[in-house]
Amino acid sequence: MVEKIIVENLNCYYNKNCILDSLNFSILKNEILNIIGPANSGKTTFLRTLNRMNDYNTYYSRNGNIYLDKLNIFNMSVEKLRRRIGMLFAMPIPLPMSIYENIVFAPKCLGLIFEKSKQDYIVECVLKAVFLWNEVKDRLNKSAMEISGGQQQRLCIARILAINPEIILFDEPCSGLDPISTAKVEETIIELKKKYTIVFVTNNVKQASRIGDRTAFFLMGKIIEINKTEEFFISPKQKKTADYISGRFG
Amino acid sequence: MCGMLSVIFVILIFGFLFVESFTFLKNFGIFRFITGKHWFPASNPPSFGILPLIIGSILITFGACIIAIPISIMSALFISEIAPENLRDFLKFLIELMAAIPSVIIGFIGMIILVPFIKKTFNLSTGLTAFSGSIVLAFMSMPTMISISEDAIHSVPWKYKEGAIALGATKWQTIRKVVLKAAMPGIIAAIMLGIGRIIGETMAVMMVTGNASNIPKTIFVPVRTMTATIAAEMGETVRGSMHYRSLFAIGLILFLITFIINLIADLFLRKIRR
Amino acid sequence: MKLNPKLTQKISYFILFLVTVFAIIPVIIIISVIVKNGLPAITLEFLTSFPKNGIRGGGIFPAIIGTFAIIICSIVIICPIGILAAIYLNEYAGNNLLTKIIKLAIINLANIPSVVYGLFGFSIFVVFLRLGVSIISGALTLSIMELPVIITTTQNALNSVPSSFREASLSLGVSHWQTIRYVVLPSAVPGILTGTILSIARISGETAPILFTAAVFYVPHLPHSIFDQVMILPYHLYITSTNVPYMPQKLVFGIALVLLIMVLTISSISIIIRIYFRKHKKW
Repeated sequence: MVEKIIVENLNCYYNKNCILDSLNFSILKNEILNIIGPANSGKTTFLRTLNRMNDYNTYYSRNGNIYLDKLNIFNMSVEKLRRRIGMLFAMPIPLPMSIYENIVFAPKCLGLIFEKSKQDYIVECVLKAVFLWNEVKDRLNKSAMEISGGQQQRLCIARILAINPEIILFDEPCSGLDPISTAKVEETIIELKKKYTIVFVTNNVKQASRIGDRTAFFLMGKIIEINKTEEFFISPKQKKTADYISGRFG
Repeated sequence: MCGMLSVIFVILIFGFLFVESFTFLKNFGIFRFITGKHWFPASNPPSFGILPLIIGSILITFGACIIAIPISIMSALFISEIAPENLRDFLKFLIELMAAIPSVIIGFIGMIILVPFIKKTFNLSTGLTAFSGSIVLAFMSMPTMISISEDAIHSVPWKYKEGAIALGATKWQTIRKVVLKAAMPGIIAAIMLGIGRIIGETMAVMMVTGNASNIPKTIFVPVRTMTATIAAEMGETVRGSMHYRSLFAIGLILFLITFIINLIADLFLRKIRR
Repeated sequence: MKLNPKLTQKISYFILFLVTVFAIIPVIIIISVIVKNGLPAITLEFLTSFPKNGIRGGGIFPAIIGTFAIIICSIVIICPIGILAAIYLNEYAGNNLLTKIIKLAIINLANIPSVVYGLFGFSIFVVFLRLGVSIISGALTLSIMELPVIITTTQNALNSVPSSFREASLSLGVSHWQTIRYVVLPSAVPGILTGTILSIARISGETAPILFTAAVFYVPHLPHSIFDQVMILPYHLYITSTNVPYMPQKLVFGIALVLLIMVLTISSISIIIRIYFRKHKKW
């Protein structure tokens, strides 16, 4: 397997408090890597470090390196990096525009597509990929604020697909959704694995066991264990992991 | 770059006021300027004492505060805590209208209605008095005071009120003892900003106070404020003359006074944000 | 004797109510007196002709035009500067000493007495830059005076756009400027509009700053360029009500009514825009 991302000695701090403590691991091409762990274990900080969303935060600092296809991401331009690494947030955040505009907004800004026919084609493709096409095809020009939460979240995934990244980061994407919407989003994510490398953060242990190829367990900013998902859940090597997945804490 | 502009403007304003008034202050003496009892810029030799003007400004400001502060706080309490939703929106709308009325119009109405009224009620030789000025200014500063205090009262966290009500206090006791105390820094800031507006107001004051530069003994005599002096005399001075420069010196003093008031208001506003 | 708390509450509520009414009454008196006395003076001729008989008769056409000229000139100067400054402060400026100084300067600028602006405008624009008593001098002076208001209201509008919109847009690889231009600004437009229109209302009613920078008692013709002196409504009201002997009161009330209608219309527009967008807010 090809290593897509290599994390090397990564430390992150908020106000001098250590949030991530010397991480060393890699993410493989076309895999789904689950990251599980209790609240405040550094999962979200890790994701936001991966596509450098924390760069604007003045309290945040870091050292160490992350390589994407052998290139250090901290030396890339942030726009280029984020084109290659898309991110989905915990709450659905549709932009205040129509459904159609939401999808073509980023590709247009990035100068990827111009012709109207091509835009139409992309909108249809990505909406089909997230199983949303049939639900919204008649109201593409309605505001994206008016569809349901689950639909909004899938629209946000579609929006990421439209810029065709290599890696997609999911930050507890189902935490604000009902079970049926959750099932649809999960289905979408598993479908995406064929084309993309996925990092999936969740604090729902069962969800992790359903989705990922490998699973990493974060606790207090450290990686306690990282392994194939089946082995991880059936025979965890660390006692802390076993305690967490059997629900003894967290 | 555009942000820097505002700093540049503050410095420019101060700089120009300072440069224009520097030679005057140097020749006439700051101390004589501020404590001189006579403002006779056109007589020979001229006398540039702004004490009557300062006292005029202070007297009117003080009178306006006595009227405006209690009314503003009480109205703000009523609007934010007691009035039902619809009435509140309507009152807030009226207060915004109040703030929008140009000062010349308020001065004009003051001249036509208030001044004769005061002359008659208090049996004075003229209604153009410090008292009229205080009333007009109180009215003009109320929108600022009410709306900022209203914001401060409105932003007192709900849990404070709940806590007191849960202990068996009536709503009024809660408002008086808890809400008012919690909103106090905001209310003080509102008052300071209102005072800033009172001191700086020009046109309305000029139209109702009579503009006599004597040191007033009561509030029922005509007075003249610093702002009105600048506005009234600027047109008649010879550019570059002592008189001209003395008006800039008054401007400089006004600038410094508002600067200090602002700093105090800012201090209190910062306190609420914590 | 200790009063029953319930009764105290009722009495206090009633007193507060009375005080509030007392605070509001003058607005209603002012508006109704001006409307009642001013309405008979308003005719087509009053609005569209020049003053006659040494300002004691005729119309106020040049003053209306002059006021509009000043307003338009100020908007052209102030909007781009104010809005860009707010964008810079809100979206780009770090939390450093310079930003703090700028913010302090803005607060101070906002509270300098308007007559001091008049002095400043006179000495810098009229004398130092040799623009003379003219529309442009007046507009520049008013612009500097309104700059802090525009900056603060625009900043508030930008602040009220949820930061999650920015993050969502940035996370798609869209650049910072494009995010501001296509996501933040469109959402903030109603707030910016409200602030701007309110400033315009204030500009149109201000007298002190233009007293020595733009306004004159009487010009027999309309302004030809921005370097001309003009007649302006608020100043016209001031002069006619204080300095012109035997001025017919009806005309003065007419001027006051025109000015009042102008200012209140402009500010009502902004209030209506705000209410409309608050109801239709999508997030």
